[in-house]
Amino acid sequence: MDSAVSAPADGTGTIPETPLLDRKRNIAGYRINKMAMALSDQRNREAFKANEEAFLDSYGLTAEEKAAVKSRDWREMVRLGGNLFFILKISAVDPVPITQIGAAQAGMDHTEFLTERLGKKLNG
Amino acid sequence: MAKIIGGLGTSHVPSIGVALDRGLRDTPDWKPFFDGYVPAQQWMRDRRPDVAVVIFNDHGNAFFLDKVPTLAVGCASSYRPIDEGWGPRDVPVFEGAEDFSWHFVDTLVENHFDPLVCREIDVDHGMQVPMELFFGRPEAWPVKVVPVFVNTIQYPIPTPQRMWQLGKVLRAAIESWPTDERFVIMGTGGLSHQLQGSRAGFINRDADQAWIEEIGNDPQKYREMMREDYIRTFGSEGAELIMWLVMRGAMDERVETVHKHYYAPASTTGAGMVVLENRG
Ligand SMILES: [Fe+2]
Repeated sequence: MDSAVSAPADGTGTIPETPLLDRKRNIAGYRINKMAMALSDQRNREAFKANEEAFLDSYGLTAEEKAAVKSRDWREMVRLGGNLFFILKISAVDPVPITQIGAAQAGMDHTEFLTERLGKKLNG
Repeated sequence: MAKIIGGLGTSHVPSIGVALDRGLRDTPDWKPFFDGYVPAQQWMRDRRPDVAVVIFNDHGNAFFLDKVPTLAVGCASSYRPIDEGWGPRDVPVFEGAEDFSWHFVDTLVENHFDPLVCREIDVDHGMQVPMELFFGRPEAWPVKVVPVFVNTIQYPIPTPQRMWQLGKVLRAAIESWPTDERFVIMGTGGLSHQLQGSRAGFINRDADQAWIEEIGNDPQKYREMMREDYIRTFGSEGAELIMWLVMRGAMDERVETVHKHYYAPASTTGAGMVVLENRG
């Protein structure tokens, strides 16, 4: 046995600053993630680009969820249950580097994130 | 009977594929990373395996959250690179070792594992990138493949111990396969990284280097580590490392680490590789 039955031993809810895709987040984020998953299809990418509002509506996103997506607020999308593997597909339609998405969640500027979090040595 | 000629562990970071697609292999950011795989590619050319069993997780590409199998096995004659949002990558289609896949499924169920059996499924960077790292970008892949999908995204994910047992059953399947085919097993994912939450960008170089050093001849503690300790030590997405235990569990108790490599950061990830050979 991993540990007490009452507390899941898989780490969900126990590790600071680490939103795991547990059942609570799965349920909360289902609409956002389903909408983002649809962007794996070229036709849907075109529909998203042509009329983002209508595309988000067709997946039943709430006003709060739509606002987070439309402002590309990665931190907020994650707070609402969005999972990076799905919402990353938004960055295929509207390009943003993954490190920029990381920086936004960490609440750091991009350069600070690269040097302090990732330990990258920047030239010049 | 068929034979395991090597156990390989490697990262499968998607940016590695993107770097290759954009011709960035020899740029200062990427050259030291890719150069570390040169000896492993030579090892592949010398050892000439017939089949690669690749253990990886789908990253919300072949499976959505409507259906999430904890364990799935590809039983198809071929696997195409999937569209992850940027269009399918221009890498060769993977030829499946279909007959062996079915034999593996039989062996799994006889041993009380219950996989989802996939007759049609496309594969994402989790499988593409390891193949490119070990085989380069050939016209056609020199091996047939068996994709093994492990859920490491939606909780609960399987335990490290279970991954090890899966490796034991994989070994039994290979060693009861009546051909003289030569198998390599690729455990993929990691090393430390975290994409989600305010801890995003977490990398643990010391723990990564210890993993590369120890996964060959001192794997016991990794087998006994709890899932939450993987997340704490290696980051939420670094917990993918449990899939290396399938490979390690399939190998002999004694192995030799014939090649190893570590480089960080590759994109947002501590990236590494080992090549293990059985020593009894
Ligand atoms: Fe991964």
